Amino acid sequence: MKTIATKIFIAVFVMCFISMLVAQAKGDDFNSVVKMIEEFYNVKHEGIPFLAKAGMKVATTAARIKGGTARRLAEAGSIKLAVFEDQKFNGDFAKFRSSLNQSLKVTWTPLIQTISAAGEEQTYIFLRDNGDKTNVLVITIDERDATVVQVTLSAKNLALLLKDPEGTGKSITEEATLIDQE
Amino acid sequence: MKTTFKTSLISLLLIITTAFVAKAQDTRIQLGSLDHLAAKASETVDVNVDERLMKLAARVFSDKDEDQRQIKKLIEGLKGIYVKSFEFETEGQFGAADLEPIRAQLRGAGWTRMVNVVSKKEGNLEVYLQFAGEMINGLAVLHTDDKELTVVNIVGPVDLDKLAQLEGQMGIPDLGIESTKSKKKTNEQ
Repeated sequence: MKTIATKIFIAVFVMCFISMLVAQAKGDDFNSVVKMIEEFYNVKHEGIPFLAKAGMKVATTAARIKGGTARRLAEAGSIKLAVFEDQKFNGDFAKFRSSLNQSLKVTWTPLIQTISAAGEEQTYIFLRDNGDKTNVLVITIDERDATVVQVTLSAKNLALLLKDPEGTGKSITEEATLIDQE
Repeated sequence: MKTTFKTSLISLLLIITTAFVAKAQDTRIQLGSLDHLAAKASETVDVNVDERLMKLAARVFSDKDEDQRQIKKLIEGLKGIYVKSFEFETEGQFGAADLEPIRAQLRGAGWTRMVNVVSKKEGNLEVYLQFAGEMINGLAVLHTDDKELTVVNIVGPVDLDKLAQLEGQMGIPDLGIESTKSKKKTNEQ
């Protein structure tokens, strides 16, 4: 009897521990990716502390994209952004890609990855299902700059992303960095 | 005696599970062998729309939007879309040996080459279908040019008409499947 109780306790403990790890991984992936870029390429990102609170600003700024007719992609207040400007991104892109995929594979699904000019321009788009919303992580790296953007998309905008992953991925990054320039 | 029975039961369950998993993954072509070409390529595109994303797509594509309704219909029942595409600055950056692991899979059970177009202008296009009885379970397209290599793998019930309509959507490149069909028709006349 005692053995069964112990086994149940261990099973419950292991399950709780695993869900805790997954939850932790879900919350920290954006920061992990930023840290990974910093360590791999020996660069430093510029922090934008108030960006996450800039929900209202997002709406007005994005409305101005493409002459004010474009619809906002990211849900208000959902944008996390890290920018790396004018630094050298020299390194084995294949190794970086493999580490990135490895570190995100538990909670994120890779949608599209494009690499141009032997690693001089890299774009990675990952998705994570979050109930009725979807988180999107867009990582772009070129020779001198890099951007990591995480946003929450509504079903409508997710449809746009799935229909045209490359184009919509670019728009997400443009939208996030436009807010940064304001 | 009891232990032997339990062990046999577990082994049987494992075998059955493995068989089911293998069947479900049969039409998924492993494209990882091409990854080394990225180092030589001027442009690499890797699209992975797995079963989870397929279900998500079916859920989010709107019936009100004509385009999205069309795609929703096309992807109904599909279990995955996988694309690997490489563009090179110069000729001769890949050869038959690079493609052999892919071809070896396509020589496997159930795969039949349906289209093989060799064109000096548009490159070579091979379309493979995997049948399970009369049902099509998967599709693979191999498009090679002097400076370009594209492999498309669609897992699930699909046909060439569907593929032609999916070109340019969900990361699937334009492979000229429609023009191939037109050419076929022209040749038949």
